[in-house]
Amino acid sequence: MSRKLILALVAFVLTLAACAPAASAPQPAAINLTDGLGREVTLGGPARRIVSLAPSNTEILFAIGAGPQVVGRDEFSDYPAEAASLPVVGGSFGGYNLEQIVELEPDLVLAAEINTPEQVKSLEDLGLTVYYLKNPTTFEEMYANLQLVAVLTGREAEAQVLVESLRARVKAVDEKILPLSYAPVVFYEIDATNPNKPYTAGPGTFIDLLIGRAGGVNFTSLAGITDPYPQVGLEQVLVVDPQIIVLGDSMWGVTAESLSSRPGWDGLTAVKEGSIFPFDDNLVSRPGPRLVDGLEQLARLLHPEQFE
Amino acid sequence: MLLIESLTVSYGTRRILDNVSLTIENGEVLALIGPNGAGKSTLVRAVSGVVLAHPGGVVRKNGVNLLSVSPMERARLLSVVPQISSLPPAFTVRETVMLGRTPYLNFLGQVSAQDEAMVQRALERVDALDLAERPVGELSGGEQQRVLLARALAQNTPIMLLDEPTAHLDLQYQVGLLELVRTLAHDDGLAILIALHDLNLAARYTDRVALLVSGQVKAVGTPQQVLIPELIGEAYHLPVSVIPHPFDGSPLVLPRAPRAFPKS
Amino acid sequence: MPLPNPMRRLSPFTLSAFFLLLAAVLSIAVGSVFIAPGDVLRVIVGALAGSIPPELEKHALIVLSLRLPRTVLMALTGAALGSSGAAYQGLFRNPLADPYLIGVASGAGLGAVIAMSIQWPYSFWGLMAVPFSAFLAAMLTVFSVYLLARVGRTVPTTNLILAGVAFSSFATALTSYLMLRSTGEVRRALGWIMGGSTQAGWDAVLGILPYLVIGVGVLVFSGHALNLLQFGNEQAQQLGLPVSRAKTVILVAASLSTAAAVAFSGIIGFVGLIVPHILRMWWGADYRRLLALSLLGGATFLLVADVLSRIVIAPQELPVGIVTALAGAPFFLWVLKRAKNQGYW
Repeated sequence: MSRKLILALVAFVLTLAACAPAASAPQPAAINLTDGLGREVTLGGPARRIVSLAPSNTEILFAIGAGPQVVGRDEFSDYPAEAASLPVVGGSFGGYNLEQIVELEPDLVLAAEINTPEQVKSLEDLGLTVYYLKNPTTFEEMYANLQLVAVLTGREAEAQVLVESLRARVKAVDEKILPLSYAPVVFYEIDATNPNKPYTAGPGTFIDLLIGRAGGVNFTSLAGITDPYPQVGLEQVLVVDPQIIVLGDSMWGVTAESLSSRPGWDGLTAVKEGSIFPFDDNLVSRPGPRLVDGLEQLARLLHPEQFE
Repeated sequence: MLLIESLTVSYGTRRILDNVSLTIENGEVLALIGPNGAGKSTLVRAVSGVVLAHPGGVVRKNGVNLLSVSPMERARLLSVVPQISSLPPAFTVRETVMLGRTPYLNFLGQVSAQDEAMVQRALERVDALDLAERPVGELSGGEQQRVLLARALAQNTPIMLLDEPTAHLDLQYQVGLLELVRTLAHDDGLAILIALHDLNLAARYTDRVALLVSGQVKAVGTPQQVLIPELIGEAYHLPVSVIPHPFDGSPLVLPRAPRAFPKS
Repeated sequence: MPLPNPMRRLSPFTLSAFFLLLAAVLSIAVGSVFIAPGDVLRVIVGALAGSIPPELEKHALIVLSLRLPRTVLMALTGAALGSSGAAYQGLFRNPLADPYLIGVASGAGLGAVIAMSIQWPYSFWGLMAVPFSAFLAAMLTVFSVYLLARVGRTVPTTNLILAGVAFSSFATALTSYLMLRSTGEVRRALGWIMGGSTQAGWDAVLGILPYLVIGVGVLVFSGHALNLLQFGNEQAQQLGLPVSRAKTVILVAASLSTAAAVAFSGIIGFVGLIVPHILRMWWGADYRRLLALSLLGGATFLLVADVLSRIVIAPQELPVGIVTALAGAPFFLWVLKRAKNQGYW
């Protein structure tokens, strides 16, 4: 299904949704949900003024068509482009500007796992309604999150359409990848502030899941690493000798050239063969609908022949 | 009267004071003399309770064992003029002397008009009124020594211990300080123990002398009785002559054969 | 003395109280949301009278539930750090001593990170787990350091400092290790370690208050003992101070206040080090005065730093620990340079 078709569908559903309530104008039913901290959250009706505290939340809200209901965002929410013009309520140094949030008079504050329970409590103490969205660990959980947020914002129909299209796109990738017998070993670099000991993603992370789903083998599984975000030395990388290196830190200026020039790294097969690829880390590190984009791009990267 | 009975002090296995017993009458100055390392300072510290003595040793004043009472009670009976160490330079002379009133203050350290008056009188007696508002860090060694004496005076105790108070003083201050110490004993009735390394000052300004050698009291008596060539020569490993002082006949000790380093 | 001329005639307490009041007013008046000073006043008057004008409800929420508790928390934290810093400097007779010298901060950091690595239920006690664990670990650290440093019946100062430094390094290394092994907690821990309250509202104020009342209360009355201790243990005892007991009481009181402050406000450096020094340069070394002035001065200093942290990169906020060092160090150096009387210590 092409994106244009989805957009058309969404637009159609939106029109329907806009027409429906006008006919009967019923009192919106109260919404009761349990959030990621086990808190009972009650809303009088779909949220109309939402403050998002995390980039993934912002992406989810806009993806299900609740963008117009968002009145504030955290500093790091830079997608989609429309979000950029929203008032910023903090987020750097792990702190939020509570005064600003109160001033925006939100009827829902959408928090995520990067927020602390203390922050949730602080917002709650100010009389605000807070929903804490847990990070998904599978695609199904991510779809469930989309539908949860849809309930909170009255966008169930749009979310349904979106989830179906996402499912179809994942299935399309699966169909191309599953029959393959060859799976390259992938080293995904998250951060190389210390170029001799970069951070990578290990088991239990979405990156690990996406590499597998895209037809690769994560470096950490061969290196016997069990930490979710381990720091690894060149020796470990050399022993495993991954075929492909993905630069999730390319947005911080790391390039294939700068990696190749690290002392000792020229011994790696991936460096010799030039299989080093810059990558948009936001597609795999933000637990929102763009994870599917991440999957598609990773699959293309690992198995370009399947997508010609 | 201060009674020191069988006081023994050890640092680790080394015995510094060995069964020391001394009596100091009210109105009397007792000089503690002896070569370096004999235990003079340790005796002053042990009597004032800051060095732990072996069980069995007693320091008595009117039947009270000073070693078993609280520091507060002890400080009302016994004051100490220590050797000049580094004093906290930012305190003024008056603030420093006021600390002598500690045993009489409540736990807040509140000062009464009487305390102020006592401090004023103490400063007067050591001729330090003009120094009162100066920080002690700016004072000379001799001035600091006077301040410490004033602090002990402000403590208003019947017993006073002084540890080598003349060590850093010029001649005129040595004499002035010892004159004052003698007045405190003879006129005010204090019992005073003063550690001195200058034998001739001890001879001129004190009533009795105790000779301490290797932690033991070798002799106690009037200067004439103790400052004799046999005792002093043996204690200091140096032959000495003793002649009468031309002014008052007190013994004057003169080394006979100067030697660069005494055998110990 | 570098204090401006007209101020010298006022009593230091009047002056300190005036500046504290000014800082508190500033802290309540300034925020990322502009509220006219008149409205702030009307909110406070309304709250005291029991009825807030309906058109001011939102501003009342900001003033009464955000700014006021934050102001009180920062003032209490600054007071604890200032007075503990003065006490530690006096106790150790060391101008480099600060309230974290013998391990309160590193112990609290370790306790906090341990608590953060556990999933607590979202409840009052679950939310109190981090500050509580930080507080407990801080007190345990001080206690261990004290026991390690003890020789017979005395606790030599040098031993205490060395044991504190060694134990701190150990705890800090353990904290770093835990932070490396964990995933989502690093942000939370980092924010806490850089200083700045983790929980807004009155809960933190209520959590900190009992310990501060006891700890700072004891410290304020320890001035005379600290004065005596400046002459060394022996002279202090000869003047009538029960030295060992007094030192232990002061150590416990200072550690208690610092631990409570750290547990709820994070590790805020520099306040406890420089505030007592500045006040000593201005008003002398008498600890009876210095302790009370450090209490007021610490509160004022931290309030001003907190206001700065809110406006420097508004609407974002800097962690207040960064501001205390960034603004505090140059201010301290300026005072140091202007101090004519170099023998203030």
